[in-house]
Amino acid sequence: MSGALKTEQEIEAGRQRLRLWVTSGPGLVWIMLFLLIPSAVLLGIAFFSSDDYGAPVLPLSVQPFQQVAGYSLLGWDPGNITIFLRSLGQAGTATLVSAALSYPLVFFILSQREDLRPLLLLFIVLPSWTNQVVRTYAWLELLGPNAPVSWAAHLLHAVPPDLGLAPGSFAVTTGLAYNYLPYMIVPLYASAEKLDWTLVEAGRDLYASGLRLFWHAVFPQTLPGLLSGVIFVAIPAFGDYVVPQLLGGDKALMIGSLIANQFTETPDWPYGAALTIIMLVFTGMGLVGFRILTRKLGGAEEVTI
Amino acid sequence: MIPRGVRYALSGISWPLYALLYTPLALVAYYSFAPAPNEAGHSLHAYNLLLHDGDVFSALRRSLILAIGSAITSTALGTLLGYGLCRFRTPNAKGVLAHIPSLIIYTPIIMPSLVFGISELIFFNLVHNATGMLGAGLETMIIAHITFQVPYVALTVYARLAGLDRYLFDAANDLYANGLKSFLYLIIPLVQPAIIGGFMLGITLSIDDFTISFFTSGPGSVTLPIYIYGAIARKGISPEINAIGTLMIGTIILLALIHFFITRHRDRAGQFAARGSIS
Repeated sequence: MSGALKTEQEIEAGRQRLRLWVTSGPGLVWIMLFLLIPSAVLLGIAFFSSDDYGAPVLPLSVQPFQQVAGYSLLGWDPGNITIFLRSLGQAGTATLVSAALSYPLVFFILSQREDLRPLLLLFIVLPSWTNQVVRTYAWLELLGPNAPVSWAAHLLHAVPPDLGLAPGSFAVTTGLAYNYLPYMIVPLYASAEKLDWTLVEAGRDLYASGLRLFWHAVFPQTLPGLLSGVIFVAIPAFGDYVVPQLLGGDKALMIGSLIANQFTETPDWPYGAALTIIMLVFTGMGLVGFRILTRKLGGAEEVTI
Repeated sequence: MIPRGVRYALSGISWPLYALLYTPLALVAYYSFAPAPNEAGHSLHAYNLLLHDGDVFSALRRSLILAIGSAITSTALGTLLGYGLCRFRTPNAKGVLAHIPSLIIYTPIIMPSLVFGISELIFFNLVHNATGMLGAGLETMIIAHITFQVPYVALTVYARLAGLDRYLFDAANDLYANGLKSFLYLIIPLVQPAIIGGFMLGITLSIDDFTISFFTSGPGSVTLPIYIYGAIARKGISPEINAIGTLMIGTIILLALIHFFITRHRDRAGQFAARGSIS
């Protein structure tokens, strides 16, 4: 049978599609219009030349990418590569620090009475609900020149007088770890909460030492949470803008500030867009790499839509 | 489960860490009572200045309009989105097309906020140059804030709906409730906690954000975080900045604690009622 008559099923399927569009259409169109199209435009700009004001003009060109690699009229300069490596290093260190702090905190919370645990968790997450500028500049009070911690560092001859620990790369690491600690704690807590303690008991019955118990019976079970935490911390830390701006100073320039400069202080949109592409490629590779790793290791179940 | 010795060690590490988490925030509050930058003593001078600072009050007003306005809109869009995807998507659909909604929803969550902000900056700039609409200001900030909140609201509502008994919807159908009726009288009451949660999440995200606000704001739309950032960049930290910071930190902590204890109380009451109805 072909043509005008539709079966009841087809009509119902059509209605269902209409309902889907009426309900979820506005939200999806909103995100497409105000995020997907704008970011596509941004990425496209990377393939244009720039005029004297840094705005994109034809002809199409690969010059922005040459600039990213460090080539300019003045020859090759390793500055950008240094900045990329520094950003990777900062994100990596901040991730390590937050993981190292998260383990004791998570198991401390789990060792407490069950009705206290949500409150203890809340107090870890709470600072991250304050505005990012406020909670970041707050570290200047602790690490800046004339601040108590800097005096101590000065007494230990770690920093010269009149110079605090901030601005500098130590302050950036601290700020990033502080900003993104909850992103590590929450997934780690979720997987530690489901820990199968009978494995630990079994190990104890076999006279395993504390360290070996942790390494062989506890750590593997928390690995899915740890890996999600690594993604949640490393990716935003890598491209963070506020922390290096406020705590970094000139010597600790990170990729985020470098990109932002191309759109604010010294405009060069195509160059900034090319930098963004490179940053997104790095981020994407990290994301995919960790997804594959997580899957191989048994994987954490995720809430997917 | 955890041996006593390890427990003591964990406490010994964790309490100082908790203290460390709040030390910078406490110092902001402490220095807000200084009479002048780098001067010892206590006074309410900075707070007195704040009371008479018109710029700060207009920044506060804009921050509130931004947070509440964007959260209301994103709650509406996100609730419909989560509902639609949970109820009307063809189950077990395969192929690329079926994944598009998920991809769209996750993009704002995964995208680094700097890339987000700059994309919006360029887009609004181009649209403004072409049409004269959407010049950088509070309007563009609200649009950007709605964009990053919608997925979180949608996910919250979706998670709640997916956890419900699907025969509830069949029951509503059997009782001849049409789509709109079952949405108004069945879905909305059922997902109300998720809608409120999504709204609160939207407000929190909006208050927390700096980067996206920074790149979508115009000269006339300075909000509190942008005001603080600008003041620090120009003349460093002053007691007045610390006073604003203190009030912002205090408000958030207070609201979070109130929300925590209300929802916990409600959960307990709910559990109690559920137990009562079964027995």
